[in-house]
Amino acid sequence: MASRLVTAAMRSVVLFLISVILVLGFWYHAEFYQIGLTNLAIVGGLVTFLVIAAARLAISGELPKGRPVGELTFTLDEGDRILRSIATLVVRPAEGASLPGVGQVVRAKYETGPEFGRLQIVDARRSYLSDLSEQDAREAGFRSALELRDAAAGRWTWRPTDVVTVLRIRRLGAGR
Amino acid sequence: MTPATITTAVGILVGAWLVALVVLRGRRRWLRATYAACGLAFLVMGVGFVGIEEGFLDPAREDIVLGTMLLAYALTAILVVGLIHGETLPRGRAAGFLLLAPIPFLAYLAPSEGWTMQTAYEGNLLGGYLVLCLGLALAETVYARLTSRLYAAQSFWLSLGVVALIVGGPIYTYELQALALPITAGANFATPLALAAFALVTLQADPVPASTRLARSRWSGPSALRGGEPIVFEETRPKYAVRAATMEAARGRPTMVIARTSPPLTTSGLVTGTILPNRHAALRLLTTASEFLADHPGGLVVLTGFADVVAMSGRLRTFEAAIRLKHVCKDTRSTAVFSTSRLSDSERRSLKDLRLTWWSLPDPAREIEAILSQSFGSGAPHLLEAFCRAHGLRHEDVSTDHVPAVIAFLQRTVAELTGAVEGGAGHGLKVQVEAASSVLRAFADQDASEASRGRWPSRRPAEADRELLVTAAEYWKGKEMEELFAAADAVGDREPLYEKARAVFVEELGDAGEGVLRTQIARLGKKPEDLEKGDIVRIADRASVDLATLADVVDLPKEKDRLQRQVDEIRLRLERIVREDA
Repeated sequence: MASRLVTAAMRSVVLFLISVILVLGFWYHAEFYQIGLTNLAIVGGLVTFLVIAAARLAISGELPKGRPVGELTFTLDEGDRILRSIATLVVRPAEGASLPGVGQVVRAKYETGPEFGRLQIVDARRSYLSDLSEQDAREAGFRSALELRDAAAGRWTWRPTDVVTVLRIRRLGAGR
Repeated sequence: MTPATITTAVGILVGAWLVALVVLRGRRRWLRATYAACGLAFLVMGVGFVGIEEGFLDPAREDIVLGTMLLAYALTAILVVGLIHGETLPRGRAAGFLLLAPIPFLAYLAPSEGWTMQTAYEGNLLGGYLVLCLGLALAETVYARLTSRLYAAQSFWLSLGVVALIVGGPIYTYELQALALPITAGANFATPLALAAFALVTLQADPVPASTRLARSRWSGPSALRGGEPIVFEETRPKYAVRAATMEAARGRPTMVIARTSPPLTTSGLVTGTILPNRHAALRLLTTASEFLADHPGGLVVLTGFADVVAMSGRLRTFEAAIRLKHVCKDTRSTAVFSTSRLSDSERRSLKDLRLTWWSLPDPAREIEAILSQSFGSGAPHLLEAFCRAHGLRHEDVSTDHVPAVIAFLQRTVAELTGAVEGGAGHGLKVQVEAASSVLRAFADQDASEASRGRWPSRRPAEADRELLVTAAEYWKGKEMEELFAAADAVGDREPLYEKARAVFVEELGDAGEGVLRTQIARLGKKPEDLEKGDIVRIADRASVDLATLADVVDLPKEKDRLQRQVDEIRLRLERIVREDA
């Protein structure tokens, strides 16, 4: 809760600073151009609109980097393995949930709700469940492919012919 | 030097570095050339400004700077359009280059009309042309941003570059005019920023490197895959897609396979591209395919890693790439094949909604089993299982390429069995094997187009099979089919270990595989016929070490990766043979 307040406060400060700069800019140009209130309102309104639109575009597009765009939930055991950097692979059913793409940052949460970190997706591929190798299972923090399938059986109805998405992750740090 | 000339000089250096970077790293010939031309025009413009300001260039030569300014802005518009519609340049968007046509006319009129650098952005024909160029570029990026998921990120950077040029060019000039300050005509201080944004997009959308380079050529000839459209191969694993690529390449058709990992064996004339883990994978898939098809009209691109791209870039971006590729196919009379392997059911349904040509294809393993069932009844699954065990294969890995090996296996098995049975029964079994072999060959000879018609062995009415089964049972004079094929199962297991290992090495490494296996056997001091299970384990270990060393020596990451996967697959299959044999 406190972190959200800090984030909201920081965003508000940035927005306020942009607004101050815009007002100063209008005053400066109004002084030099002597363009009158009506023209200033139209031109100023247009510029303000463009600046806000550009800021929205930047936030929704490329900038800032590392902004989380979704979340992945884990059991306590899985979360623990990720925190200890034992697991670098996450296997999820391809059907149903919307999964993040490569390069995106997601919030890593326990099933019970709390966020325990941020993860960056560095690779993603599709595989049949039956094609997951022992190496994949070890990288996902399990001793064998069988154990991986068994562990997830409680959460999803696994069949060997099911398609899964295999995400390679990089931990970015503790949750805020 | 004034701050303006210092800033411009630094911008020139940055711009020159960016031009060199794109020229050296870029893989799209047309865009690389356009970027270089655009970048050089801005650089000449900057040099002209610095030269006139600092007095080492005759002010009378301002006309040259004005000409390069016109060229720079026109090329900016062409470059932006090219970066968004690169897959159709220069064929589909050649009209874009018409933007250059007014330049000689405007340059000719400039002296008589009194157009100079200082008045370039004023309300005259020249200013209108410059505004048109920048406006066109901006409109294109905004349109791409609003309508395209695939180019959303790129359109942001392109917008940034174009807006920077507008602010650094006309707006800054109007500002100086309004403030009654000397106009820094001929320089656009935003040039490095704009060139950096364009370079970023150019490199983000660069095609993936191809395994080999084919000579540019147009292809026409008989083909199982008609040109001018993309075809979706609905199949569990991309067996028919890979086979189609191999067959078309063998016909001499320029063919490229784009996959997540490089294929273990490459057919002569087949180009492969490996998709790297990247958020722009869908865009790079599109540019790779379109660049290949632009160079080889009438060619074929097979996308076996389509599902992986969906996982990397998302469904909407990847499907948009598919739609854009459809237009490329139409323009170049080429074919693109999308494999639905490993797509989820909902993704498959969404892809179907795109109304692309859709071919539903059978699973060869299932069909081979169905053919065997028609001749051998319920013993068929055991027979195929025995074959898979002997070759260290999984059931789902069996493809039409394995049909000759299946037939050879059947013949060996039946040859063993017929010694144990008498007269008509042995003859009958041979007839059955011949019949099954004939159907298997006919099935294997079917290309994807024929297979998509749906006349699959597994869909044949049961009545016909029943008739055949009765005949087979009669040959066996009342013996139970199950028992007989359990015996065949055992015969399969008795296949020499050397043959099993040889099949694995040859399938993974090609003809050279047998030589590798023989070397390993020689190092054990044994003969092929004396091999035991323990030897197979040792061969697996030694081959892994030797081939892994070879992989380490290879300095090409892609080839290294391919070799490593071959090593892993050989080891896995040899271990499977030993395990199944135990």
